[in-house]
Amino acid sequence: MTDGGTDGEARTDGGPPATVPPDDETPTWSERKERSQGLAQLTYQYFERSRREDEDLRAESTYVERDVLGFPAWPHETLRNLAITSFFIGIIVLVAAVLPVHFGSPANPGSTPSVILPDWYLYWSFGLLKLNPINPGLEVLGGNILLGNEFLGIIAHGIIFAAITLVPFLNKGSARRPVEQPFWSAVGVTGVVLSFTLAALAIQNFFPIGLDLLFTLTFLLPALGGIITYAVLKTMREGYMYDLNRRYYMLRPPK
Amino acid sequence: MSLKKQDEMDHNAWLKKQDLTAVETVFLTTLIWLDKRLRIVDYLELLETMYYRANLQMPKSHTEQYDLDNKFWYWYPLYSLGSLSIIAYLVAAITGALLGFYYSPSTAGAAAQGDPTAAYDSLVLIMTDVQFGFMLRSIHKWAAQFMTAAVFLHMLRVYFTGSYKEPREVNWVLGVVLIALTLFFGFSGYVLPWKQLSFWAAQIGVEMALATPIIGEWAAQLVFGGFTLGQATLVRMYILHVFVLPFVVTGLIALHVGIVWVQGIAEPH
Repeated sequence: MTDGGTDGEARTDGGPPATVPPDDETPTWSERKERSQGLAQLTYQYFERSRREDEDLRAESTYVERDVLGFPAWPHETLRNLAITSFFIGIIVLVAAVLPVHFGSPANPGSTPSVILPDWYLYWSFGLLKLNPINPGLEVLGGNILLGNEFLGIIAHGIIFAAITLVPFLNKGSARRPVEQPFWSAVGVTGVVLSFTLAALAIQNFFPIGLDLLFTLTFLLPALGGIITYAVLKTMREGYMYDLNRRYYMLRPPK
Repeated sequence: MSLKKQDEMDHNAWLKKQDLTAVETVFLTTLIWLDKRLRIVDYLELLETMYYRANLQMPKSHTEQYDLDNKFWYWYPLYSLGSLSIIAYLVAAITGALLGFYYSPSTAGAAAQGDPTAAYDSLVLIMTDVQFGFMLRSIHKWAAQFMTAAVFLHMLRVYFTGSYKEPREVNWVLGVVLIALTLFFGFSGYVLPWKQLSFWAAQIGVEMALATPIIGEWAAQLVFGGFTLGQATLVRMYILHVFVLPFVVTGLIALHVGIVWVQGIAEPH
């Protein structure tokens, strides 16, 4: 143990780093851990557990790590990515050249245009502002609505974003392909169709059908889409399981 | 002992001894010149170490582990959608920076209601006078459309392949935030030309904000700069579009991709 420059030789670089030798007063690392309390201790305990779990899993595993395998990053992956990127940018430039953007008249706060529309990706959101027919009236208020129609639309936005956010906390399990999870796929298709029908509701002027019918279809079609998806995927899953079972019993014939 | 400065390692002599091409000579000379001043070899060494730590020992990928190499899953092309949305974002960023040279976020210049404002005029300038200005604006607009479409389709792909499941819930939530920000990016860009549709889309935005109880008026003032649309609205939308959102969205995209990197791609079964 040296604390720098005590070996008699004159040094100009400060010598090796000086370390403070541990004395009896200095707690060892294990003592520090034992002494710690509350959250710090819990954290430490959890880390120990987690490390042990990792080690156990590694010990149990028969899996051997190998050197680089599979598709090399250079040049294969890089070239593929370059090709995809240039193709995609090419499509953007081509579309921009073939379909130049529309440019309307300047803003006039004094005259409301007959058609007010956001860009296409907000049609669904605009459609949510047109839910007046399902705004609940209250008998106590003499049939008056409790919420403003626009606030109802904002609540609908909140519900949709909350529902999307909650998906991973509701759908658990290891199923990955749509056929393995007919219900959640049906929910997804319902959502997709709903976004399209809400968009149609937003641009209602362009549809030559009655507003009531359009409003009914807005909610009927998604439900229908969901039911059909569920039925189809259930049927497909039967076939899928049949195939898997057949392969299984071919490999391991029943006794 | 001479006073002449000496190299401990005579790199130049070493360089001459080698039989190098012109490119190699220039490269090595530059490298040595920079290294004498900035000691970049240390950093290169660090980079090299990091590279090998990251790449030398790759775990078997899912397809290798389960011997699925011989099967092509028809969903695989959809796994590029996230990357395509980033590419479109970059194209929009570059063209947007170029458009920013000519755009002025101002409602000045309208003598009467419905006259062209400075913002509108600057777009007319871009589209009629600037070389390739019309094309530039078209590319910017279409890149934004492609990005939004790719982001939506990316979300659908993640949903229908169940890629959001444990342990990737946090990244899904982050993705929802990114989609909301992308939509707001598009909305703020839609307002900037200050044409009829821009104005009335913003008007609907203000009305939505004002319809919200408690925080509505505060939100309308924060985002739209007041309860009626005007110069303040345009400047706020402009700053959101070219300053705030680019930083926030780029940062969140980096985080999003970083988490994918750390957790690994959720490969299909």
